[in-house]
Amino acid sequence: MSRANEPMDHEYDGIQEFDNPTPAWWHLIFLGSVVFAFVYFVHYDLNPTSWTIHDHHRVAQVRELQRMFAEIGTLKPDERTILTVARDPKWGAVAEGIFASNCRSCHGENGEGLVGPNLTDDAYKNVKVVTDIFKVINGGAANGAMPAWGVRLHPNEQILVASYVALLRGKRLTGLAPDGEVIAPWPEVGADAPSEAPADAPAEG
Amino acid sequence: MSQVSVPDESARAGVPETPAREGVQEFVYDDAIVRLFMGATLLWGLVAMLVGLLLAVQLAVPQASFSLPWLTFGRLRPLHTNAAIFAFAGNAIFAAIYYSTQRLCRARMFSDVLSRLHFWGWQAVIVSAALTLPMGITQSKEYAELEWPIDLLIAVVWVGFFGVNFFWTLARRRERHLYVAIWFYIATIVTVAMLHVFNNLWVPVGIAELLATGTMPGPEVMLKSYPVYAGVQDAFMQWWYGHNAVAFFLTTPFLGLMYYFLPKAAERPVFSYKLSIVHFWSLVFIYIWAGPHHLHYTALPGWASSLGMLFSLMLWMPSWGGMINGLLTLRGAWHKVTQDPVLKFFVVGITFYGMSTFEGPMLSIKSVNSLSHYTDWTIAHVHSGALGWNGFMTFGMIYWLAPRLFQTRLWSTRLASTHFWVGTIGILLYVISMYTAGITQGLMWRAFDETGRLAYPDFVETVTRLIPFYWIRAAGGALFVAGICMGIVNVLMTWRNRSRPYDRPVHRAPALAREYADRAPTYVPSETVSGLGHKAERFVRADWHRRWERLPARFTMFVVLAVVAASLFEIIPLFLVRSNVPTIMSVQPYTPLELAGRDIYVNEGCYNCHSQMIRPIFAETKRYGEYSKPGEFVYDHPFQWGSRRIGPDLAREGGRQSHLWHVLHFRDPREVNTNSVMPAYPWLLAETVNFEEIQARVDAMAMLGVPYGDAMHNAADLARAQAEKIASEIVEQGGDVGLADKKVVALIAYIQRLGTDLFKAPAADEAAAAGE
Repeated sequence: MSRANEPMDHEYDGIQEFDNPTPAWWHLIFLGSVVFAFVYFVHYDLNPTSWTIHDHHRVAQVRELQRMFAEIGTLKPDERTILTVARDPKWGAVAEGIFASNCRSCHGENGEGLVGPNLTDDAYKNVKVVTDIFKVINGGAANGAMPAWGVRLHPNEQILVASYVALLRGKRLTGLAPDGEVIAPWPEVGADAPSEAPADAPAEG
Repeated sequence: MSQVSVPDESARAGVPETPAREGVQEFVYDDAIVRLFMGATLLWGLVAMLVGLLLAVQLAVPQASFSLPWLTFGRLRPLHTNAAIFAFAGNAIFAAIYYSTQRLCRARMFSDVLSRLHFWGWQAVIVSAALTLPMGITQSKEYAELEWPIDLLIAVVWVGFFGVNFFWTLARRRERHLYVAIWFYIATIVTVAMLHVFNNLWVPVGIAELLATGTMPGPEVMLKSYPVYAGVQDAFMQWWYGHNAVAFFLTTPFLGLMYYFLPKAAERPVFSYKLSIVHFWSLVFIYIWAGPHHLHYTALPGWASSLGMLFSLMLWMPSWGGMINGLLTLRGAWHKVTQDPVLKFFVVGITFYGMSTFEGPMLSIKSVNSLSHYTDWTIAHVHSGALGWNGFMTFGMIYWLAPRLFQTRLWSTRLASTHFWVGTIGILLYVISMYTAGITQGLMWRAFDETGRLAYPDFVETVTRLIPFYWIRAAGGALFVAGICMGIVNVLMTWRNRSRPYDRPVHRAPALAREYADRAPTYVPSETVSGLGHKAERFVRADWHRRWERLPARFTMFVVLAVVAASLFEIIPLFLVRSNVPTIMSVQPYTPLELAGRDIYVNEGCYNCHSQMIRPIFAETKRYGEYSKPGEFVYDHPFQWGSRRIGPDLAREGGRQSHLWHVLHFRDPREVNTNSVMPAYPWLLAETVNFEEIQARVDAMAMLGVPYGDAMHNAADLARAQAEKIASEIVEQGGDVGLADKKVVALIAYIQRLGTDLFKAPAADEAAAAGE
């Protein structure tokens, strides 16, 4: 065996080497990592039934959407939904998050307008009735100045953010000057809407 | 071996190889070349770290690019990394190799001319890098950014000057066996050559055009090249290279350095010869496989990603073998560590090596990587390696070499100790702040609130939060720079006190005899052990390896076999198995204008801050959209996946913002986003696109197999038409007139295309729809 702590019978430019054995723990961890690698690869990569990261992602996506939208199901882009859904504090907060991720960079922090128009006044460029907001979000407008979000956002998310935008109207925040035509006020909607939660509640975030 | 001193005049370069009687030869070592490399190390070290410091400040204060093109983060970051790796660490390993190889082989370097060509050639590479990178002349592959003419120069200097000189010195050595340091040098030279060549296979756009049309394009096109690989394969080759640049440029030569200078400085024998053998071969074989861990959760096939992770885990012990052999060599010499700044630097350097090589395997575990990737955690990791391991091993070596090369005492041991403490505190401030920043940002990206929305939906929030850490990092970097300044002063003052002329000790040793009988095996088989036991015992005794050590050609061949075999196991399936990159019918080549815009994206180094790779992680698809598919990148020569998100991912940026928004954002990002840290790019609105030269770019892409169809003949016209359309849309959206020929329009064309093909109907359907 190796002769511990005895220099070997050679030297290079005065440098000697001991004949010490490699530490046992070194061998054990090294072999352990080799065995682990083998088992891992067989289990995850050679096994056709094992899950890929894409399977995990799909499940996470479905589960998260269920968690998010189980309560409201599939929303419809109709007048009533768009005028009410973001009044609910919870859904208003969700809608504000969608607005923050996707709309702020052009329409400003609170919709006061930046590159895109001010959304808090009564003048609109591509909207005549409230459901047009959804159409503009879904399909875009003005030659791509307003991008289409149809393939980027879940339909519920498009409706939620349309609702958020509809409820921005009338806040008249200081920002870009009104642009486009002044249109008729939104119609009144039924009393079963949670009116105690005003539309501007979520805007505090 | 005996020594006598002779005055300088008698020992001219390369002379006294006079064969004396009975085969004893006299020779003098070439230390002048070591002095040159050592000086260059300090000079470029200072430059590399000053650029790093400027970049650190720019992240906290984006205005620190002063709206100057050549001072932007995207152009300077490659200069910083290249200078730190190839100029600072590069010159350091050359100093180490030229000093130690001569002594370990008992031979002067084969050719003084090649030594000088190597030195000046390498400095020419560095100067060309320092000139071209700030001008935006880049291949955009990390640590391989230098354009094709410089690639050629590197190959000539590395193989033709350095390699030939080194191996010929081995051939003329007077020491029978090769010491472990030399093994590591061999692995360095052959593997770096292989990595460099195969990651830099390109088509030079200008040369291709010259050959095809006989007309000479302008300098911008002449210096441009496209890699032969695209998308997934390009990414794989790049990180096969990138990871092994760390392995064979920043690890193996520094281990060789450690194996020579540490036992010299400590005056202790190396802890274990057996450990040297087993950790050398395992390191050389396993390192090569680990590259794909830079591409976890990307469009790289899962099996390659798994191999990258598993081989990284297996690499833990081979790496630690070096650390153990280093630290345990100090047994019996720890009292010297308190006295000697050289050993202080070595101890902390080796400790950082141990920490980095534990952290590396940990970061390569997929689930850890899903948090750390694209964040400052990676930055912390590389700097604990670069500043701690490479930096401190270099400084330790320089403080040991300076008095010996200048043949006088070190000017100030105290100043060297101060350098050590200032540097150590600098590294700690740097890495701790960057760990915190990295984990903070990684957690912020994936945080959801109770309603199921992203807790930090606005990307810039996750950047603003890091600014305090960026200041701490800058302070740490400043301390490290202060340390290197102390080192420079100390070496300069030592140089002033040098002995004049230098003593040139003449060494004597016999040339190697042709015949050599290996020592009889020390193992005597005993009757009580089985046949297998005999074999195992013989293997463990390693007499077979001792034999290899005296056969450099065979030893080198085994190293080549190890690295080539390991590479091919991954490369062959990735290039030949079609299912790795499933075709997506709707993905089409970039239009000529988009291609020109893409080249601007590459020149500006956008990939240094923006990834183009959405991982299949829910928080990520929620923020950026559908995850990236391998088939989306088949026309991406080179790939632009990036490795760090200082800004948001851009893989699905196409159509997300209006053209006008992009114009305003390029002019001054803070116009549309107060907290943005992106530099302003006003020149993109002023400089014009050279439409006539787009044809050359299209033709080069077509040579690489990109199906360009019509654009093969009228690229300039197609590009002009698309530019006019975008410019008029900008005007409609309320923007300035007259942008049609400006670079910004080409860049916008490219950005608006990003990630949109996936959602289009396949080309055939489109044609049918148009015919209706």
